[in-house]
Amino acid sequence: MSTVVHHEDLGSPARRKVLKFLVVGIIGLLFLRLYQLQMLYNIELGRKSTENTLRAIVREPIRGYMFDRHGQLLVDVGPSYSVTVTPAGFNEHSLSLLSGILSMDSEAIREWIAKGRAYSRFSPTRIKRDIDFKALSALEERLYLLPGVNYQIDSKRYYPTSAHAPHLLGYCKEISDAQLAKLGEYYKLGDLIGSSGLEASYEVMLRGQKGYEFLAVDARGKVIGSFENGQNDILPREGFDLLLSLDAGVQAFAESLMTQYRGAVVAIDPSNGGILALVSKPDFDPSIFSGVTPLEDWIRLTSDTTKPLFNRATMTRYPPGSTYKMVLAAAALEEGIIDENYRITCTGAYRFGNRIFKDLSVHGSTNVVEAIQKSCNVFFYQLIHKVGLEPWAEYGRRFGFGQSTGVDIGEETQGLVPTAEYYDRVYGKGRWTQGYLVSLAVGQGELGVSPLQMAVYAAALSNSGALHQPHAVDAIRNKLTNRVEQFQQRSRPLKLSAKTMNVIREGMRRVVNEQRGTGRAAAIPDVIVAGKTGTAENPHGEGHAWFIGFAPFEEPVIAVVVMLENAGSGGSRAAPIAGLVMERYIHGEIKRYKPKPAIPKPVRSDTITVVTEAYR
Amino acid sequence: MFEYFKEYFDSKTFFLTLGLVVVGLVSVYSATYDAGAGVIFQRQLMWAGIGLAGMIVAMVLPLKTIHRLSFPAYAAGLVILLILLVVGKTVSGSKSWLGIAGLGGQPSEFAKVATILALAAFLAKSTTIISDPRHLFLSIAIAVVPMALVLTQPDIGTSLVFFALFLPVLYWAGADNFALAAILSPVIVAAGALFGTSFFVASVVISALLLYISRRNRFVAATAFAVTLAVGLSVQFVYERMPAYQQKRIMTFLNPEADPLGSGYNVLQAKVAIGSGGMFGKGYLKGTQTQLNFIPEQWTDFIFCVPGEEFGFLGASLVLIFFGALLLRGITIATVCKNKFASITAIGITAVFATHVLVNIGMSMGLMPVVGIPLPFLSYGGSALLVNMVMAGLLMNFWANRKEY
Repeated sequence: MSTVVHHEDLGSPARRKVLKFLVVGIIGLLFLRLYQLQMLYNIELGRKSTENTLRAIVREPIRGYMFDRHGQLLVDVGPSYSVTVTPAGFNEHSLSLLSGILSMDSEAIREWIAKGRAYSRFSPTRIKRDIDFKALSALEERLYLLPGVNYQIDSKRYYPTSAHAPHLLGYCKEISDAQLAKLGEYYKLGDLIGSSGLEASYEVMLRGQKGYEFLAVDARGKVIGSFENGQNDILPREGFDLLLSLDAGVQAFAESLMTQYRGAVVAIDPSNGGILALVSKPDFDPSIFSGVTPLEDWIRLTSDTTKPLFNRATMTRYPPGSTYKMVLAAAALEEGIIDENYRITCTGAYRFGNRIFKDLSVHGSTNVVEAIQKSCNVFFYQLIHKVGLEPWAEYGRRFGFGQSTGVDIGEETQGLVPTAEYYDRVYGKGRWTQGYLVSLAVGQGELGVSPLQMAVYAAALSNSGALHQPHAVDAIRNKLTNRVEQFQQRSRPLKLSAKTMNVIREGMRRVVNEQRGTGRAAAIPDVIVAGKTGTAENPHGEGHAWFIGFAPFEEPVIAVVVMLENAGSGGSRAAPIAGLVMERYIHGEIKRYKPKPAIPKPVRSDTITVVTEAYR
Repeated sequence: MFEYFKEYFDSKTFFLTLGLVVVGLVSVYSATYDAGAGVIFQRQLMWAGIGLAGMIVAMVLPLKTIHRLSFPAYAAGLVILLILLVVGKTVSGSKSWLGIAGLGGQPSEFAKVATILALAAFLAKSTTIISDPRHLFLSIAIAVVPMALVLTQPDIGTSLVFFALFLPVLYWAGADNFALAAILSPVIVAAGALFGTSFFVASVVISALLLYISRRNRFVAATAFAVTLAVGLSVQFVYERMPAYQQKRIMTFLNPEADPLGSGYNVLQAKVAIGSGGMFGKGYLKGTQTQLNFIPEQWTDFIFCVPGEEFGFLGASLVLIFFGALLLRGITIATVCKNKFASITAIGITAVFATHVLVNIGMSMGLMPVVGIPLPFLSYGGSALLVNMVMAGLLMNFWANRKEY
């Protein structure tokens, strides 16, 4: 190569030397560092190489708490002990001992370990959650016989009050394989994840952030000590607390009123849409999900024909019956089709074509206020033909029907407000008649609403103008800034004239307060209540009883809906429950008689409480 | 026949490359042994086969053809990077993967080769006079455009490689010391500005010295220093106006310990892994740290831990020696080539290898910040392996055609 002659400016020998020197320098530098790490520090690191490995141990964060509107703790967190196995360190011979201590099938243990191994042989995987103190102490005594086995502290939900609200609060479950594949990164096998209600909707805020502790561990999986005095450790970050609009006392009381029924109660603060109470019956005790749910409990819940897991307050889609008449009244008044003086004569029946639609009684000369008060069907039968299907449907949508309410507790039905387009699709163009509208006029037929939508509607009627998005969470306590962050609530104006609203509200006032009003059973002492009853006929026996109402009439602070499946008439069944719920909220007690007070039930024994305090 | 073969076949480059590829396959197999990821090993094996084919093609192509393809390849590389900018799929935080027929391909790898070729072709032109500032600026532009595109992905590591290959190429092509100092000093000052005031002052002093020593014309040197200062001062200005997440990304790049669960933890693990290897290593597939799946994607950026832990000082030194020999071979080839284009390209290729080796292995041993650039021939990654083997094939090509002008 010495024979090669370049241009004088290309790759001069001096420059070649510089580059070769650089290469030797780079490789030499790396070589020296390698020598330093492997030959010099090897005395220090070499001890680790034969005995110790470095391990990151997950430190579970404390899940956020939930408080009611008065600061009462509704959803608490306490410690729960989980048994973990590190697959690489586990010895098959100790399988029978472990299965004895945990009273767990050894095949099941083997299966969990195999699952854990697929993720990592060297990181601990949970094989049993929430073991009792007896099993824990038995395990602790024999831990030295069980290489690779350990336990860790997880958190577990406690419900310190008698307000269960399982459908609203929701519950957590162990993460499924499908969720694990989809959500990846943060979650690991065996983690708990919010699976319904607020626990699911606010999962990211509630869960907090996992921490990591770095430990030196010997080859048998025994912890030697912390790595570099824990200076690399990362503390877990607590989950954010949810501050709910719920009133624990009202919730518990409403639940106690509903024990006999299948149905729902929803109470809303009409000033902002905050949910004060949300009951769906039959229900379940959410604490059965807080630890390990026994399989038999799960099967019992899912196979129960009354569907206790089903949230009737947001998921049912029943016709609302006469409680929906105010929509038609609003459409007729607002469009100028009738005014408050418009009268018809109710003869107890309405003839359309060759069909006769009956009323419950003969109401004689009736205006719109009286028609609401006495729930005169004939008045509304004839009215819907004057208003027409589309305007009627349009006003229904204006009140939020046929669409999601946007509530923050998870799944809900949109319901159904039929339109001409809907009938064309279902029955075919021209194959349905104006006769179909007659049922809609009194809230029957294809019309379907959820109790939650009815509560939003009742609240909008009570506050004369605004439709607020219902929500259970008012604010969160951000544990990073330790500040309470208020959620921006959304609402939209109803755009109904004051005159229309006054006529409708007067009708609703008379329902509860005047002779021949259908909802007099909702009346409460010292306060004027307004409302509307409904009884939705259905093919499965007795009608569904409905009542919607609000109080006090002049300045409403609560709007409530009661829906009872197959319970009979709304006036006699649903109205009294609605009255009691409103009274409990407004007076803080029931004045007319003294019911058994809803005392917070002691869920935890004193010893566990002490542990919980320490754990916080 | 054999004499002919010996004359034209560069067996040194060939066997050094092959040796490194085999160490890579063995290491990838070990690193993914536990995760049940035989798929990863098989895919790497397949890419090694494709790479071998690419290497042979690069070796036998006529030198004139390669020379002629330089600018079209460069243009194609820019177009792909531009497309990527618009419709990139995000893989591990940066947009470098372009889905081509179901196979991931990393266009910035291709752009790297194309940029070397284009730079070499430009500098080798008889009309190019390196001391002419206009030509110097043109060559800077050739390197800076793809570098900026890669930086937007954002792939800070690879864009640094573009810079690192640019300086030796200019140096080899005969740029004078002042030109090199003028290019280097803004970068030094910009980096210094990000580290804080004292670093900034020190970097300003260093670049002032560099410019002063290499100066030929006082006025030009002063201008270069003014530009350097302006760059340094504007870094602070731009940094303060960046969105917080971008600031965080830069800070993590400069100071990995700020993100201990991310790169800091990896370095910790990597250091224990390599250090615990000792003289002879723990034996193949027996490295407890390597088999520990806490290092995410250890078969890519932290692959050097595997030979370090399992084959010990002897094995890891051998890997270093192989790399060192390959780099020296690259310089030798650049020296003996009579073709100016081939000579400059060989230096560019060598510079790319050297940068990757220094940054990647240095990072694994805690000497360098954690920059996500792979170790040539060893790290898992199909397109990188293919491009690296093609570059080795080009070196062999230049050797075979070393007497051609």
